[in-house]
Amino acid sequence: MTDDVKVADKTDSLTDLKETDEDLRLPSVVEPAHFPVETIDTEARHQTPAVGQRATRPDGRLHGLGQTKYIDDITFPNMLFAKMKRAGISSALIKSIDTSEAEAMPGVAAVLTGKEIPVNSYGPSYQDQPVLADERVFHAGDPVAAVAAVTEQIAEEACERIKVEYEPLEPVYDPVEAMKDEIKVHPPHSNIYATKRIKKGDLEKGFAEADHIFEGVYSTQMIEHVPLEPHASIAQWDPNGRVTLWSSLGRITLGRADIARTLDMPINKIRIVGTIVGGNFGGKNEITTEPALALLSRKTGRPVKMVYTREEEFIASTTRHPFIMEYKTGVTDDGMITARKVRLVLDGGAYCSWSETTLGKACILSAGPYNIENLLAEAYCMYTNKTMTGAMRGFGAPQVCFAYESQMDEIAHKLGIDPLELRMKNAFHEGSASPTGQVLQSVVVKDSLEKAAERFGWKEDGQ
Amino acid sequence: MTDVTLTINGEERSASVPPETSLLRLLRDEFYLTGSKLGCDVGDCGACTVIVDGMPVNACLMLAGQVDGRDVVTIEGLATLEDLHPIQKAFEEFASLQCGFCGPGVIISAKGLLDRNPDPTKEEIKDALSGNLCRCTGYTKMIEAVQDAARILRGEKEAA
Amino acid sequence: MRAFDFVSAESADQAVSLLSEHGPNVIVLAGGTDILVDLKHAKHDPDVVVDITRADDLKGIEVNDEGLRMGALVTHTEIMDDPYIQENFPALVHAAHTIGAVQTRNLGTLGGNLVTCVPSMDSGPALMALEAEVTVAGPDGTRRMDLEEFFVGPRKTVLEHNEVLLDVIIPKRNLGKPTDFLKFGLRKGQALALVNAASALWVGEGNTFKDVKISLGAVAPTVIRAPAAEDFLEGREITPENMAEAGRLAVEDAKPIDDFRASASYRRDLIAVLTKRTLDNAYRLAQND
Repeated sequence: MTDDVKVADKTDSLTDLKETDEDLRLPSVVEPAHFPVETIDTEARHQTPAVGQRATRPDGRLHGLGQTKYIDDITFPNMLFAKMKRAGISSALIKSIDTSEAEAMPGVAAVLTGKEIPVNSYGPSYQDQPVLADERVFHAGDPVAAVAAVTEQIAEEACERIKVEYEPLEPVYDPVEAMKDEIKVHPPHSNIYATKRIKKGDLEKGFAEADHIFEGVYSTQMIEHVPLEPHASIAQWDPNGRVTLWSSLGRITLGRADIARTLDMPINKIRIVGTIVGGNFGGKNEITTEPALALLSRKTGRPVKMVYTREEEFIASTTRHPFIMEYKTGVTDDGMITARKVRLVLDGGAYCSWSETTLGKACILSAGPYNIENLLAEAYCMYTNKTMTGAMRGFGAPQVCFAYESQMDEIAHKLGIDPLELRMKNAFHEGSASPTGQVLQSVVVKDSLEKAAERFGWKEDGQ
Repeated sequence: MTDVTLTINGEERSASVPPETSLLRLLRDEFYLTGSKLGCDVGDCGACTVIVDGMPVNACLMLAGQVDGRDVVTIEGLATLEDLHPIQKAFEEFASLQCGFCGPGVIISAKGLLDRNPDPTKEEIKDALSGNLCRCTGYTKMIEAVQDAARILRGEKEAA
Repeated sequence: MRAFDFVSAESADQAVSLLSEHGPNVIVLAGGTDILVDLKHAKHDPDVVVDITRADDLKGIEVNDEGLRMGALVTHTEIMDDPYIQENFPALVHAAHTIGAVQTRNLGTLGGNLVTCVPSMDSGPALMALEAEVTVAGPDGTRRMDLEEFFVGPRKTVLEHNEVLLDVIIPKRNLGKPTDFLKFGLRKGQALALVNAASALWVGEGNTFKDVKISLGAVAPTVIRAPAAEDFLEGREITPENMAEAGRLAVEDAKPIDDFRASASYRRDLIAVLTKRTLDNAYRLAQND
């Protein structure tokens, strides 16, 4: 029998086998993708064949079927529901927190206060926000305790039974008033927690060249993002000492680092599952309840979910900065801007959040899309005892746009120049330099202004 | 506890819940029909819209006890295993939804409209959707989708 | 929401006895568009909630010997869809249409809107201009009163805890009376009125105002009539100048306040304009008849 087995055959089959195996393998080295070496400089709006193509959203079908799972649609066995006790006072020292009555309630699994949090502060730039306020309250929406219970209703009732004794402090609400630093929101620190200054050309010379000086103060209000889906998270602490968080958070990597810091544990023990977010608009760019939920889960050994109420969205999540904007602009008789001085005061609320980014962008864009040789822009961000402000669509750009465009209209009206004409005279063109010296390319301000004017019939109706 | 038996998407369902349970909580927490969303819980946003006895209503504004014996249709009741409802199909095709959270409520409102008015004007569609807030501001595409679905439901256009 | 007991009434009589039995910390639940919000915000903390949505005798729209009867449970959508009301009282259709949005109009009831008694209610002015009466049922039977008497103050009516509103009746003499309703809100949908107004009138001999009734909302603690403006117009010739003067007089009949929706002075301007316009529109309706 063994004689029948030919060695050669055997070798052949092995080779075959080997070849087949190799064929099945994916190339271990991916062929490098080749990009064109020369940059093809196509006209604006014609740069890619994708423009103008019909495409459907890959998530559209699930959305329409109601099958997309947002955080609140996820449930785990044995899950608890958390609620937070909000201070309801905008500035105070916390004398005592009595949670005994809440803890004794049937259905309450755990109560958490700020003292139990390893590092009780967080924030995407400055870590100035307590997870749960334990010594001092900085705004009325501050949470002072968290409860995990078998139902939301019980958790809510338990929050009502938590007794907090406060020593009220005088609050400061007006950002201009806050600049005096007579009442400090975060003593001993100054209320002015971020500044920016942009200087270009010679301001005095610019104003001297002007035939008219226009001065105005403009202000905008606080705006909440109002995502249709409120902030929501679920935390599950496992027996291996790791925590998994399902969260509506938009920036999970950043959030993970922030949570690791507050919990004082290695980042690799923290896993965040970001699900589909039901609207963010900048309002879900930082952690909120996650560290508290993680600790409640550790205390109870059960998964814990918390969903903000619509009220909490308004009082305990970030909002858009209210701005107070002082503009002084020098203009010649024929409508050319010679100089502009801008002073921005941002009401930052109780915590920094993304204020620095907002401040920077607002300051850079505060002169508008206009060629202004002599410019001074100063911006200050203030702490006040109000709901914190943070990132929101445009990071400060809409506020300054409201100011400089309002002033442009005033200038046009006063000088008797067509508002469109005034903008065309001063607008950026190809190669213009921005206030920070960036040389601009693909500038289509004038084209878009002209197109817009044509489309809404400015020339016919506007005069 | 309040005992309720009602028809949900053509199927009889029963539950025993605390009297203060809203229809929305009943659907989401008892029957795991999470397509209807909790957005504001006070009848402003429309994310919880369901059809009760043929009329679109805010599920957050009804108590479970009030729907005992009644007929409820939720977003989960629109599509079959084989096919999407024409409104769902149109919403997908027109990319009418962005974050999607308002979507189930909007689609239910649109169904409520087309069930009663197969050929609505643009103004009538706007009126029918005025109780559904969309913060991603996708109303234009939604209106186009409702118009398209209406054409398909009227038999004037083949479903894609 | 806090815990409470839930009972359901099959008739107005049963509702009254359930309310008496469980009172006084009870609350009546109809459309729920206001009550459920208040319950969630813990503005009410009742022991028992009495659901009346199954009481069939509180439903229905009909014309009988007394006039047009609308059951307290008639929804805003039912008013909008009713052929008789569409034909005879476009103002009521318009008023119902300005309330909330489709979902809340499908739930919300006429009776609920009146009983909640917020000054900016949209059901009030047109009914008051049409001299509507209401029937209240209690343990001692029913009583009938003018809508004006029914309203006591903001969120307060004459209803005792064990009474329910049965129906609203527009008296026979006013069936088909030309009426107009206007609301000024900050949005088309889901907005509360900054001011709303209604005018009802007949055209008398020599093109004069006859039986003019003007009603205003959101400008006083309850929906009110504007007697000074009405008295001025009665018997006068129908002219734009007289309508404008009535608008000015209506401002004096009102007591608008400053709040976060609008200033009192803005409301005063609105009262004058809306009064004038409703008079004008009602007159146009009269001419078309």
